[in-house]
Amino acid sequence: MTTEQQHDTIDMMLNMGPQHPATHGVFRMVLTLDGERVLDVTPHIGYLHRGSEKLCESESYGQVVTLFDRMDYIANLNNELAFCRAAERLMSIEVPERAMYIRVILAELNRVASHALFIGTYAIDLGAMTPVMYGFRERERIQNLFEAVTGARMMHNFIRIGGVKEDVPDDFGPRVRQLIGQVREGIEEMDRLLTFNEVYLARTRGVGVIDAATAISVGLTGPSLRGSGVAYDVRKDDPYEIYPYLSYKVPIGENGDCWDRYYVRLQECYESLSMISQCLDQMEAGPTMVQMRRIARPPKGEVYVHSENPRGDIGVYLVSDGTDKPYRLKIRPPSFCNLVGLAPMTRGSYIADAVAILGSLDIVLGEVDR
Amino acid sequence: MDVVWASLWLFTLLNVVAVAALSLVWLERKLLGRMQGRVGPTRVGPFGLLQPIADGIKLLMKEDIAPGSSSRVLFFVAPLLVFVPSYMVWITIPFGRDLFVRNLDLGLFFFVALSVLGIVGLVLAGWSSNSKYAILGGFRSAAQLVSYEIPIIMTILVVAMLAGSLSFRDVVLAQDVVPYAAVQPLAFGVFLLAGLAEVGRTPFDIYHAESEVVGGPFVEYSGAHWAIFFLAEYINTFMVGALGALLFLGGWRWPVGDVPAAAGVALFLFKTYAIVAVIFWVRATYPRMRIDQLMSFGWKVLIPLSFAAFVATAFQMFYGWPIWTLTILSLVILVPPIYIQLRWQRKPAMALAKHYAEIAVAVHAQPRPVPVAAVTEADAAPGREDDA
Amino acid sequence: MIAGVKGLLTTLRWLGKRPVTAHYPEQHLPVQERYMGFPALLTDDTADEPFCTGCMVCVRECPTQCMTAVMHDNPNVAEGTSHRRKIIETFEINLNRCILCGICVDVCALDAIEMSYEHELASFGRAGARADLDILLTLGRRYMEQSAWTPKNPEKNVAGVALAKKAAADAAKAAAAAEGASKPDAGGTTEAEGEP
Repeated sequence: MTTEQQHDTIDMMLNMGPQHPATHGVFRMVLTLDGERVLDVTPHIGYLHRGSEKLCESESYGQVVTLFDRMDYIANLNNELAFCRAAERLMSIEVPERAMYIRVILAELNRVASHALFIGTYAIDLGAMTPVMYGFRERERIQNLFEAVTGARMMHNFIRIGGVKEDVPDDFGPRVRQLIGQVREGIEEMDRLLTFNEVYLARTRGVGVIDAATAISVGLTGPSLRGSGVAYDVRKDDPYEIYPYLSYKVPIGENGDCWDRYYVRLQECYESLSMISQCLDQMEAGPTMVQMRRIARPPKGEVYVHSENPRGDIGVYLVSDGTDKPYRLKIRPPSFCNLVGLAPMTRGSYIADAVAILGSLDIVLGEVDR
Repeated sequence: MDVVWASLWLFTLLNVVAVAALSLVWLERKLLGRMQGRVGPTRVGPFGLLQPIADGIKLLMKEDIAPGSSSRVLFFVAPLLVFVPSYMVWITIPFGRDLFVRNLDLGLFFFVALSVLGIVGLVLAGWSSNSKYAILGGFRSAAQLVSYEIPIIMTILVVAMLAGSLSFRDVVLAQDVVPYAAVQPLAFGVFLLAGLAEVGRTPFDIYHAESEVVGGPFVEYSGAHWAIFFLAEYINTFMVGALGALLFLGGWRWPVGDVPAAAGVALFLFKTYAIVAVIFWVRATYPRMRIDQLMSFGWKVLIPLSFAAFVATAFQMFYGWPIWTLTILSLVILVPPIYIQLRWQRKPAMALAKHYAEIAVAVHAQPRPVPVAAVTEADAAPGREDDA
Repeated sequence: MIAGVKGLLTTLRWLGKRPVTAHYPEQHLPVQERYMGFPALLTDDTADEPFCTGCMVCVRECPTQCMTAVMHDNPNVAEGTSHRRKIIETFEINLNRCILCGICVDVCALDAIEMSYEHELASFGRAGARADLDILLTLGRRYMEQSAWTPKNPEKNVAGVALAKKAAADAAKAAAAAEGASKPDAGGTTEAEGEP
């Protein structure tokens, strides 16, 4: 007998509306509650839809890079890289090796910055108000380096089709090495505050469990999928740029709960930092941009290229009709596809868990809505 | 004439308590800021000392709105029901040897009775707001606060047993050699945790957590009414600190004995602020518990511990054991819960982390091809020179 | 228990450290050398006019179409002080729309526009964000001083250098023509035409 039949009650509908401190942007979750238990969750998206894909059809390839910056506004360089790789595949361009190293260093630094933001905001969703300050301090350091290299703290427009906009400054190597040490300490500080904290363990262990089969069938990718034990990482399974020349570990979880997803992202921070220092060791002098026309005109054709964003597998489907503007640009945003996993994870848990689970998926609404 | 004097005393008390609560607002923001690597308020007044006054002025200037479908009378009575009891307790709390409004013989009992009244106000606030978030917060607060009354009552009973009286003044006077925190550290710990829960402070602040119920019972209040809730919360925090100082740390007396009133007050305030600073420190560090975990913690950990403290004290008093046996008994009683947490929560988590470090999939670097010189023009992609 | 105590010690330790806050507006954090602030127009001091001729490439390439420009004939050409036949007449950037992407700088072949270091241009009305030619030149002047700016292609863009080069080329041509006249059977000398 259901609760309804037993007590003649009705299910309550709670709207965690677009304006809510814990929904990570303008996202609306309609929870169907039975007391404190969540029976169902219906996500409503589209509040941040800006028509990026349509805009891409009327902008030249150089301008499209700026749109990709702004889609997932926390992993900007990863997005630029995803798009530029698609255009390069279509134009059959071989990017010089030094440019690839610079791209990978910047992308991995952006991954660390993104995960630092995740840890901080996840902690403050759960009530710990200090890790977010530490996380943002680490982000500041990384963004200062980005400013020195690309000219901007967030919307870089640096990774271009064929390479990077310009070479890195002369003090790049020592500066990045020092940064790696400082950022590692900062992440360790957040680690110490959170990972084995009693209350944090109680809030995240066993919460929002999704098993590997359901995760795959629902379309999860990235750390959310790796938390369930599936060792799928585009850098490992379909390597690109100079990732084949790096040794690293792909952290995976086993239980598929929120703690596992958090722990995977935490370990990924450390792995990214070690990858960056390997890149610095291997990087050699050379050109940073391929010789090509300024106005990119890919031949007619279509291409689908996927990369590993901090949030998961970002795919760029580019259709070109031979002109200097894309004919169609479709993006497979990892956060959008990860959101499908919200419902299976949240059914049966408490309201407070709904917040924890949504936070552990690490969505960015700019990417979900484009 | 008596009425005039009483009113004057009460008015002074209100001012003192309000100023103390406002100083707590400043202290919290500064302390939290420093712990997070920030500075806290700096602009309003020297060191930001006038920030609470600025907050108060801002809140009083805001438009006081009430939801259209709320029941007006209850909506506006609820803040009073929360504020008045928390203020009334201060009538009996002594700041110094002779500094109190009324030294009730039933002081501790008076405190317990009034703190329960505040719960009614919170539930009423949640109910009368006619909002789902408020209802959720109201129910959560009712469950939480009623449950955590029991450990508070038991620890107060322990203190009353040790002191032989229910009056605050007698309790402080009985601590002239050793504070009760040293005699019964278990009761002190339980009192602090239960006090945290009573006030609604992290890690027990889920009923008005911003990231979940966006304010809980307070969500529909704005302006002056919200300021009353705000003030009541800080007065309660100050009260938990004051009670801890009086009941467990020896108030104005230990370790200095009989000193001039000003020094005694200073000592009492120092102890109070120390406990309050610890409360803020905990807020900076811990996440908040979920409501069912909170209730489990209260019923399955704190209540048994408080009962154990009570029984231990009873045994010590009945059999006439020396006082230090009570300290040892308290610490021994604390061992099982700590062991359980370490063995059943921390150890598996750390083992899991170690296991994950082992099963992480290692990707090995492939050998790089012989690094060629700069990509020559012959190898370049199709395209001519950069067209201007 | 242990992790909680470790956490408490972590937050406690921060009480002894200096806060990382920079007290704005008393303390401004310096921007880095490559910082891309709002675009600004640069002035060619050798001819006392902007580098910008109004070729509209940046206006076309801007993703947000935040610029408008109008060119007109350059009066300085007749006087011989400049090699630019056209010069900018009006130029307006709506700074509210500018996304600081730097594409305008990338496509400009005349060293006319640069991303300045300006990022504190808040105003009290929406119209305050519309920067006209004078404002842009002022910002550009400030940027040139702050960054000790040098042109990327002085031979083509700096009036003094271009005119001097043209004068030298004319003189050489005249000298060669004079020589050719005195040696009629020297054969047509093919001169490599200099880059325009």
